This record gives sequence, C-alpha cells and structure tokens, in this order.
Amino acid sequence: MKLVTAIIKPHKLDEVKDALREIGVEGMTATEAQGFGRQRGHTEIYRGAEYQVDFVPKVKIEIVTEDARAPEVVETIERSARTGKIGDGKIFVTEAEQVVRIRTGERGPDAL
Amino acid sequence: MRSLEEAYSSGGHGAWSARRRTELVDRAVRELAEGLEGRVAVVALGGYGRGELTPGSDVDLMLLHEGDGELEEAASRLFYPFWDAGISLGHSVRTVAECEKLVGDLDVATSLLDARLVAGDGSVLEALTEGLLARMGLGRRAFLASIAESVEARRERLGSCAWLLEPDLKASGGGAWDVAAVGWMLKGLRVEDAVRAGLLRAREVEGLDEAREFLIRLRSALHLETGRRGDRLLLEHQPALAEAFGFGPEPGMTPADVLMRSLFEHARSVEHILRLLLDRAARWLEGAEEEEEAGPGSPEEVLDQLALAAERERLPPPATLDRLERTVPEGATWTPAMREAFVRLLAAPGAVEALEAMDRGGILVRLLPEWAAVRCRPQRDPYHRFTVDLHLIHTAAGAAALLRGGAEDPMTAEAVFSIRDREALLLGALLHDIGKRGEGPHVPAGVRVLDPILERLGVAPETADRVRFLVGEHLLLSDTATRRDLTDENLVLDVAGRVLDGERLASLFLLTVADAEATGPHAATPWRRTLVRDLVGKVQRALDRPDEQPDELATIAERLERTAALLAGEHPDAVGAYVDRLPRPYVLAVPPETAARHFRLLEPPPAAGEIRTDVLEGERPGVHDLAVAAADRRGLLADIAGALALQGLTILSARAFTSADGIALDLFAVQGVFDPEITEERWRRFRGDLRRALEGRVSLERRVEEKRRHYPPPAPVEPEVRVEDRVSEFSTVVEVSAGDRLGLLFDLSLAFRDLGLTVHVAKVATYGPRVVDVFYVRDLEGRKVGERAEDIREAVLARLG
Repeated sequence: MKLVTAIIKPHKLDEVKDALREIGVEGMTATEAQGFGRQRGHTEIYRGAEYQVDFVPKVKIEIVTEDARAPEVVETIERSARTGKIGDGKIFVTEAEQVVRIRTGERGPDAL
Repeated sequence: MRSLEEAYSSGGHGAWSARRRTELVDRAVRELAEGLEGRVAVVALGGYGRGELTPGSDVDLMLLHEGDGELEEAASRLFYPFWDAGISLGHSVRTVAECEKLVGDLDVATSLLDARLVAGDGSVLEALTEGLLARMGLGRRAFLASIAESVEARRERLGSCAWLLEPDLKASGGGAWDVAAVGWMLKGLRVEDAVRAGLLRAREVEGLDEAREFLIRLRSALHLETGRRGDRLLLEHQPALAEAFGFGPEPGMTPADVLMRSLFEHARSVEHILRLLLDRAARWLEGAEEEEEAGPGSPEEVLDQLALAAERERLPPPATLDRLERTVPEGATWTPAMREAFVRLLAAPGAVEALEAMDRGGILVRLLPEWAAVRCRPQRDPYHRFTVDLHLIHTAAGAAALLRGGAEDPMTAEAVFSIRDREALLLGALLHDIGKRGEGPHVPAGVRVLDPILERLGVAPETADRVRFLVGEHLLLSDTATRRDLTDENLVLDVAGRVLDGERLASLFLLTVADAEATGPHAATPWRRTLVRDLVGKVQRALDRPDEQPDELATIAERLERTAALLAGEHPDAVGAYVDRLPRPYVLAVPPETAARHFRLLEPPPAAGEIRTDVLEGERPGVHDLAVAAADRRGLLADIAGALALQGLTILSARAFTSADGIALDLFAVQGVFDPEITEERWRRFRGDLRRALEGRVSLERRVEEKRRHYPPPAPVEPEVRVEDRVSEFSTVVEVSAGDRLGLLFDLSLAFRDLGLTVHVAKVATYGPRVVDVFYVRDLEGRKVGERAEDIREAVLARLG
C-alpha cells in the first residue's frame, strides 16, 4: 500500500476532493498546513502596516491506497490541483507498511 | 426502587421522585442499622444528604462515631447489603475528631454541610456540625473565597452547561454542583432566609428551584437512558432524552436542540444567580449597606448605570438590576440617550457581564424582541462553541477589545486606525448572526430583521448603512479567503466592488477577526488569519488604485448583470461561466452591449490555435473595431499586431485582456493607412496571416520589415520607457512613449515575448505623432517582474531602434 500526501492550494481542495471521489477514492484526511518552497514567504502590506508571512497557507491531503491505484490517485490530484502558477504544491508517495481499521481490527488492504 | 423507576416515563423523575428514592434508601438504611449501639450516627452525605438521589447517584454513607467502640461488624452489616444489591456506595467510617481535621478540605466541608442523620445517635452529628459551623464562622470570608474559587476552577476545567453541547450535568458550570453551592454558601454563612437577608431576590430563589428540578429530571433521565451513573450529556443521548421530556421541533431546531436550549436557559440562570450571590455575600460580610434605592429611575438612567458598571468592569449592583427590570417595560421605546448608553456599554471592557445581566433580567429581549429567536439557540457544527446569542455577545465584546487597541498584530491595529464609525462596528458585531433564527439561510434573514431594529434604535442613516453592510457581508472575507483563488484579479476586484471604501473594509476585517475568535479555536487559526489578511491587503490596494476608482468598481456587478440580461437567449450556464471569466478591467472598458456581442468569441473557450474575430464599423468613418479571441500564449499580441501591420492597418487604440483561465481577448480600433476601405477579403487575409504566424509557418518580423519600406518613417519623438511595480497588485506596468509608425505595437510586443513576459492588459492611445502604450506584464508563472526593470527598459528601447 502507498501513502499519497499532497500539499495543495487551499481553494483547490473541493476540486481535488470531487476528482478523487469520481475515481472512487473513498476516504482522505485534509489538514490546514503552512509551509514554503520555491514560493517563499512574502511581505503583506496593508496601508501603513507590514506583515511578514514566512509560511504560506496550504492544505495537506493524505490518502492511503493500494499499490496499483497509486499512479491514478497521483495523476488525479496533479490534474485537479494545477493552476499553472507558482505555489501549486507537491505530491509525495511513500510506502505504507500497515493499515488497521480500529473498529474491526481488520488489517492490510481490507482496512482501506 | 425499581418500581419507582418504572412508575414514570424516564423524563418524569424530578425532585419529588429523587426525594422518594432517598426515602426508600433511608428506610433500608434504618432497617440495617437497627441494633446499632453506642454513640454512633449513620449520616447521609452529598446528593443523598440533600435528598436528591437520581437513579445513578452514589449513596454516600458515613458512620460517625466518637472513637470508643468496635464498628467493623456494624459497618459490614450496613454496607454489604448495598454492594450485594449492586447499588454503588460511597462509604466511610470516621470519628468526629477525624472529620474536624479534614474540614480544611473544601470538598469534605461542603459534603458535611449536606450531612443528614438517617439513623443512630443524633447528638454525635450535632457535635460535629456545631463545631463545623463555628469553625467556618471564624473564616467565613475564606470559606466564601474558596467556594468561589472552586466554582471558577470547575468552570475553567469543564466548561458550562449554559453553552456546551456535551456538558457534565453535575460538575460543569450551571450544573447540579453549582445549585448545591448556593446551599453550601447559605448554610456555611448560617443564613436562614436568603431573601430576607437581601442575598437573593424572590425570583432568583424561584429560578434556582426550577433549575434544580430540571437538572434532577435531566440527570435521572440520562441515568435511566444509559443505565450508568455518568453525568456527561453526550450528543447521542440527546434525541432520546428530548423525546422523554416531550420536546417537539421548532423552526430550524430539532427536539434535541429545544432540550439543549432549556438546559442552557436554566444553567445560565444558575450561573448568573451564583455569581450575584458570591458578589453580594462578599459585600454582606464586609457589612456594606446595600445602596439606597433611588426611586424607580428612567430607562436612560438605568442603562447609563449599566454602562458605567461595564466601564468599571464591575457587576451591576442588584438594586440596579431590580430597577432595570422594573423600569424597562415590554416594547420599551429607545431614546437617543438610551442608544448612546447602550453603545458605551458595548464598547466597555465589562460588556459581556453587562449584556449577560441584561439578558438574565429579560431586558435584552424587551429592548430587542428579535433577540428572542437567537437566545440560547444551540449551534451544532464543528466550529461554534457558543450558542448564537453568546456568540454575538462575545463577537461584540471582541470587536470592542480590538477598538480599544488590544491587537498585537500591526494589520489589525492599522484597521482600527481607519475606523471612524465605531457604533456601526459594535452594532454590526452584536447583530451579525441575528438571522440565525430558523428561517432559512442566516445572512439574508439577518438583513431582513435588521431594518426594524435599526429604526427602533434610531441609528443615523449612514451608520445604519454600514451596519447593514456588515451584517450582509460578514462572511465575505473569510469565505472568499479560504475557498477562492486569491491570485485571481477578478476575484479581488469583485470583492473591492462590494466593499467600496477603506473604512468599510477595515470594519469588515475587524468583524471577521472578532467573529472567528468568538466562534472557537477551529475558526481562529493562524492559517485562516493569514489568508484573510492576504485578501484584505489585496482589496485595499485595489481600492487605492488610481485607474479603477471605487465607484467604478461598484458598477462591475451591475454591468455584468446587464450583459447577462442581453444574453437571455443563451444557455444560462454558459452565460454564467462567461460573465465569471470576463476580465474585470475589460468589463469596465466596454459597454455591456459590446460584452454581450463578444459572447460568441469566448464561449465555448477557443481551442489552442483557434482564432475568433469580430469586426464592427466604428463611430468615426474608416475606423473599425476589431476583437480577437484566442488561447493566450507567449507572443500572441505580437502576432496579431504583426498581421494587422501586414494588411496596412494602423492601430489607433488597443486594449488586451487575459482571463484567469488563459483566454486572450484583444480589442483594436484600426484604420487603413493608404486604403481606408477594409473589405472582407482584407480581413480574410489578416486571419490567414495570423493563423500561419501562430502555426509558425511564416516569419512576420521579416515581412513587416519589408512592408515598412513603403510607409512613412517614424515620427521624430524621443522614446521613453517607465517600469512601475506598485500600480497593480498582480502585474508590473510598463509605459512606453514613442513616435508613431507602422507596426509599433508589433515591435513592443516582440520585446515582451523575447523577455518571456505575457501581456495581461495593454492600452494603446495615439496623440498626434506620439503614441503612449501601457502594458501590464507578468512572467510565465504569473508573477510581477519589477526586479527586472532595467532589462525591460533596455530590451524595449532596443526594439524601438
């Protein structure tokens, strides 16, 4: 199994969620996240006040999926989260050794 | 006991039933205690001592003795049968001396205050309680302080039954222990008649009795429902309990909501009365005389006193509350002095307590009848922690705190600096969710009920306008910031068009901050704050822009509406998509009729490589208005300008726009240089050249160069290039002034193409021999390019030769 973690722009969350639902992804975790990459932070200016923003607000989504489906999940996120502008985010794929559904005690792909 | 439990529906077990249960247990204890000898008392403690046994309560029993006998056997004779019967028992065997040592512990002291003799030798207990009360008599102030402290500590730790959706009915604020604390306090202070002592008012005693009855019923029902003794009222139990209590649904509220509202109301009055009692008892101990009642007073005076108390952060004295309740009749009319006092109260540091006092006295609803629908209304979502009315009170207090200069964040402080109409912000904050009354979506409902309120209060028209704006738009910033693309210029201009001026933006921002803080920790995250700040900064800069004045921005929505109306024959979805995508600078540049005419150019969006054109005879003879739409790409504007030059068409003015989804829409006013007539054949050749250029099959550069030889040389004007990075939020602005010549726009757009820049907006205007061109450019990733100003100047000047 694979853990797919994606950092996306906040306003893209609904689109990504809908696109994943369309390909049959049943569950995901979404978290408010903050970070910086090439986009860096920036200085907010409002009238006379300046505000240094070191971390840019993003949404982190996490999906655990069977190995075979991982490429499709990645591609779906990639397509639905893209605006073509800087700060579109990144997708990481890592190995997920074990999954347990706490209620039933099921393990492995059955617990997905 | 089982027959008692079955005798009523689970919602029917109130104080009577608890007393009856207590009596049944008492009888059993007496039977078991028969034969008990010596100086031993069987004492009921805690809830059992108060005669408030609920189905799940512990039976707290103590064997109190004077230390001169063997009690082991008596104890097992008394306690074992309870364990055998599965009744949960709290038990102890103590001597009077042991108890006296423990009295320093508040929990022990209060449980002894509830002590009641069930069997055995009463004189033993008397010896203890006499001593106990005497002991407390010495430290009555300390006793009072420690009760106040423990009440506060419980509320801190366990929240309150007055607003928590899953409160602990015993230990949370306003719950059973708070009711008991009133009794402890009066017993500890040896007050027989609290009303006569001036510590409680008759209606407060009534309120406490009603709350006690309700809490016992609810705890009994909960214990019977769960079969356990836990007092935490979880969401999952609420529907069944609401049914047991016979609650039905109300507009926008389930029976469970109605149950919770009842609980909130009772718990609220318990908390309030307890707080007043602590306050009064402290002064009573000081021996301070209650202030003389100065006649009934007028509503103005009473509100003024409340405002004064709030400004000094003191609880309003009971006499003020009494007078308040007497002097403000149902449907009282507001006078300017009352409004002024009320606004002072809202702005004061003690606003929450003052508003709560007004609420508990029923004054708030009398002065603002619309308040009744939001009062104690539960909010079941993951964000809100308070009921609607408490949320409103806390938002208003939060806004007031910001106005007093409590903000650390420099942006909030800057916003406060922009506010002149504080009354509008305070009233807007107090009323922003007044539409949460079960009449459909709360924002329009709020705007609907607002007008009568503002009229009753006699709010000045400009302030009323601002309040209306705040209530109607209170979700605008947070919704837009968290759900929409803040790099979309359309979005920012649309928000600017709704906000219209800096003060309204500042007050909406402060309301958004206070609203989030009063909602709960999930709404007031740094993540959300960063996004909202980003949007506010952008909107403020859009409002500051010299080229799009706020009153002009305000017409965007109207122009789009008219455009859509002109397209009534088309599919509404396509029209909706079209007006959404239209670049706002374009909307401001062309009349709605033209925008409607261009519908076919953009809808459906042109595919890559596809070109759509539209030509209209211009107003001046020989001038034609040309519109070209195509998927944007680097160098598109250059190709169009080049193809026009090849047909010997000179560009009098040009405006280029790009939509957020990357479709370029370029408008030109063109004129034939030698041959003013532009035939369809000439347009066809233009389109052919443009298509071949886009496909890369022809070099326009070389052919334009050839063509130029037949045309007059450029006017002798010294070219100037200025690069401005601060004018626009999204683009760097390049202003070029040069002598007119065939293909000038072509040359300039080639320079941008070679620099790797896209042109988002271009404005070309011809003044005699001089042409002034303004370009809004960005790099290929959509960023501004101010730091490359020197490169840009050089490249453009090189192109101008």
